[in-house]
Amino acid sequence: MKLTVNQRSVTVDDAPDTPLLWVLRDTVGLTGTKFGCGIAQCGACTVLVDGEPLRSCSVPVASVAGKHITTIEGIAHGGTLSNVQQAWVDVEVPQCGYCQSGMIMATTALLKKHSHPTDTQIDEALTNICRCGTYDRIRVAVKKAAGAA
Amino acid sequence: MKIVGASIPRPDALGKVTGAAQYPADLVRPGMLHAAAVWAHHAHARILSIDTSAARALPGVRTVLLAVDVPYNRFGLIEADQPLLCDDMVRFYGDRVALVVAENAAIARAAADLVRVEYEDLPIVSSAQQAIAPGAPRVHEDRSNVLLHQKIRRGDIEAGFAAADVVLEGRFTTSWQEHAYLQPDAGISYWEGDKLVLETAGQWLHEDQRQIAAMFEMPEERIVIRYAKIGGAFGGREDLSLPPLVALAAWKLREPVAMVWNREESIVGHHKRHPFTITMKWGAKRDGSIVAAQIESIADGGAYASTSAEVLKCAAIFAIGPYSIPNVATDAIVAYTNNVPSGAFRGFGAPQAHFAAETMVTRLAHELGLDPTDVRRKNLYKEGDLESTGKPLPAGVSVRQVFERCLEEKAVRFKSDGRVTPGSSLRRGVGLACGIKNVGYSFGFPEQATATVELEVTPAEIRSATVRVGAAEVGQGVHLVLRQIAAETLGLPFEAVRMITDDSSQAPNAGSVSASRMTLMGGRAVAEAANAARGSWVYGDPPRATVQYIPPRTTPLDLETGAGVPNYCYGYSAQAVEVEVDMRTGVTRVARIISVHDVGRAINRQQVEGQIEGCLAQAVGYTLTENLLTRDGKILTPYFSTYLLPTTLDMPTEVYPIILESADPNGPFGARGVAEMPLVPFAAAVAAAIFDATGAWVTDLPMTPERILAAIDESRRRSAASAAALIV
Repeated sequence: MKLTVNQRSVTVDDAPDTPLLWVLRDTVGLTGTKFGCGIAQCGACTVLVDGEPLRSCSVPVASVAGKHITTIEGIAHGGTLSNVQQAWVDVEVPQCGYCQSGMIMATTALLKKHSHPTDTQIDEALTNICRCGTYDRIRVAVKKAAGAA
Repeated sequence: MKIVGASIPRPDALGKVTGAAQYPADLVRPGMLHAAAVWAHHAHARILSIDTSAARALPGVRTVLLAVDVPYNRFGLIEADQPLLCDDMVRFYGDRVALVVAENAAIARAAADLVRVEYEDLPIVSSAQQAIAPGAPRVHEDRSNVLLHQKIRRGDIEAGFAAADVVLEGRFTTSWQEHAYLQPDAGISYWEGDKLVLETAGQWLHEDQRQIAAMFEMPEERIVIRYAKIGGAFGGREDLSLPPLVALAAWKLREPVAMVWNREESIVGHHKRHPFTITMKWGAKRDGSIVAAQIESIADGGAYASTSAEVLKCAAIFAIGPYSIPNVATDAIVAYTNNVPSGAFRGFGAPQAHFAAETMVTRLAHELGLDPTDVRRKNLYKEGDLESTGKPLPAGVSVRQVFERCLEEKAVRFKSDGRVTPGSSLRRGVGLACGIKNVGYSFGFPEQATATVELEVTPAEIRSATVRVGAAEVGQGVHLVLRQIAAETLGLPFEAVRMITDDSSQAPNAGSVSASRMTLMGGRAVAEAANAARGSWVYGDPPRATVQYIPPRTTPLDLETGAGVPNYCYGYSAQAVEVEVDMRTGVTRVARIISVHDVGRAINRQQVEGQIEGCLAQAVGYTLTENLLTRDGKILTPYFSTYLLPTTLDMPTEVYPIILESADPNGPFGARGVAEMPLVPFAAAVAAAIFDATGAWVTDLPMTPERILAAIDESRRRSAASAAALIV
C-alpha cells in the first residue's frame, strides 16, 4: 500500500488494520510521533491526514492509503522551525516533552483553520494530555504562533 | 550574577519540538529481540505449576524465563522484598510470573498468552484496615502485615485536650494516584564487551545499577545504566518497573532485547501514591492557639515495601501541617495488602497529611468564631520552633512570610465576582492552606551528591568546563539548572559548560531526582567541584576535582516517640484557591490559583514557574478528577478513558505562581527545592473553597461531583435538623 508521508511517497506492507502510529514508527522509522494510551485519549500520536488532525494510534493504515500524512518531522521548512515549533521554543513549553509532538500537530491544524483562535477554539482543538501540566504555556505559545503567522 | 537567576532557555527544547528527542521506546532497533511479561492477574495466589511448552513451541519464541532464572530474585529501593518474577506466591494483580523473549513484540505477546499458570487462589487483603485486623491473612508469610508503625509523642496529649476550649474530630480518606507519566515504561538492554548495558528512563542511575547488579550477582561496575530522554517521572520511576525485566532477557540470552509496556501494563505494573485513612482530634484555646493534636494515619502500602516506610514517616511528621503544637500524639501505620504497591509520588505523604491537617485548622477557626487567617498566623512555625520530633526546625523558617504574601496577592487578584451568580446554581468560594515539605532525604537515609568538574585551561584563563553529575532530566529542567550553577561559579559563558549526566559509568552518583532535592544537592556538589577544580588550576595541579557534598545529618526517628532530626531543609508554601461549584450537579471548577513558594533562590525563574504550574495541574487531578478504583486488588481504571487526567479545560486561565527567595543556608546560591511543593496544600485549599461556596466539607479525595453533592445534601439535612431542634 502506498502512503505519502511528509511529501515523500512510501510503500508499506503492513496488515491493513495496523494502526497508522505503528506503521509510522516501526515501518517508516519516524519516531517523533509517540504512543501514549492506544485509545485516542491522550493525543501524543496526533498527525495530520490531508491537513486534519487524527490520533494515529486508532487509525487503520488502510484508511489513509493515498492520503497526505504529515508528522512532527515534516513541519519544519528545511532547517527552519515552523511558526508553531518556534513559538514552543520561545515560550519554553516543553518539560518532559513527550506529548509535545502531538500538541504541536494539533496546533498546526488549528491555526490552518483559525489563524487567530479564541480561547474556546483552543480548548476545543487541544484536548491532548500533558502530564507535566504545561497547559498555560501551550495557550500562550498558540497565540504567539498565531501572531507570527 | 548573570547566569544564576536568568531564564536561560532549555537546550533540550529543540529536540523535543522536532521529534528528534529519543525516548526509551524510540531506541528499539530492527533485529532486536522483544520481551513481554506474563502477568499474574491474580491478587493473591499460590503458583501450583507453570507450563511454558505451548509458548516455547510458537515459531519465533527464543525463550521463556522464570523465577529460577534470576540469580537473586529480590529487589526494592529500601528493602528487597519484591521478586522480579514470582517464585511460588503472587501478591498483587500486577505481579509478573514469566518473561517471554521472541523475535518481535507481536510474537512475544502472543506467546505470553500461551503460558499456562495454575493458581490456588488465597484470601485477598484488599485494604489496610483489613490487613491490620486480628486474624487477617498474611501478605508475606514470614512477616506481619504491619510494615511500619511510627509513633510521635510530644508533650502531654491529655493535658492538652484538658486545656482546650474547643475539641474537634475529623476523618479523612485519600485514594491512590497514578503517575501517568506520558511515556510508558520501556527500555533496551544489550552487552557491550563484559558489561551489561540498560538504556531506559529512571530517576537514579546508580540505584538502578545497584539493584540490577544485585539481582544478577554481578559487580556494579559491569552494569551500565544510560537514560534516554525521560517522558515524565513524578516519583513513578523511582522504583524499578520494566527495566530489570528487559535487562534479565539480555543478560540471559546475551543478545539485544527491547521491551515496551502499553498504558494498561504501566498502570497495573508500577506503584502509586498511598491511600490514607486519617482520623484526627484537635484542640484549641479561645485565642486560637492549637494546643493538642491526636492523629491516627493508616496507609495502604500494597504488596511490596517500595518506599512505604519513608512515605509514612513523612505523613506522620506533616500530620500537624506547618504548625507549632505543644502536645501531639500520632500513630501512623502502613500495612502490606494485596493491592498495587504504593510508593513515591510528588509530595511523598505530605499532600495526604495536609489535606487532613489544614482542614482541621480551618474548621477549628470556624468553631471558635475566628478568622482562619488569624488562627494560622497564631500557630504557624517560626524560626527556632521545635518540630513534633523534638528538635528545632532547620534554619530558614519562612512559612509566615510565604503566607502573608499569599494574603497580599489574594487581596489584589481575587476581586470577588460575587458568591452567587443570579439565576444560576453556581456558587463561588475561596480557600486558603499552607504547606511544609522536606527537601532531600529524611530520617538518616544516607544523603550525598557527587560531581566532577574538569576544566580546559590556558595559562591565563579557564576556557571551558565539563561537568559530570548523574542527575536525571525527567522534564524538570535540572540539566539546565546545574549547568547554570557551574557557569556562574566558574565565571564562564553558559555555552562553555558541557554536561555529562546520563550514564552511570561516566557521571558520578548524585542521588535521585526526588524529594525536590537535585537543585540543592546536585547544585551544591557541582558548585563545590567547580570551585575545587579552579583551586587546583590556580595551584598548578590538574584542573579537575570530584567533590561529594554531604548536607547536615538527619537521624532515624525513635519508633515509640518520634524523637530525632527528620530533615535538613524544608520548602514552604501557601495557596489561595477560588472554585465554582454547581449546586445541582456537584461539578466543581477551579477558577483561580495563587501558589506562593519560598524556593530560596530561583536559579532559573522560568523553570521554577514551570514546575509550579505543572505541579498544580497534577494537584487539580489529585483533588478533583483522578479516581483510581480497585476491587479485590484489581485496578478497574487502567485506561485514560476511565482514569481522568486534567486537560487544559480543567485548568484555570488564572494561575499565579509567586516565588519568594529567602536563601537556604546550605543551598547553592541559597536555592531550596520546589518540584513537589504546590501539591502539598492544594487539596485542603480546594476543600476550604468548596466549604466557603457550599457550606459543606468534603473529606474524601478525590472530591468527585458525587461526593460533593452528597456532602451538600448532608450539610442541608443537618442544618434542617438543627433548625427543627431550635423550633422544638
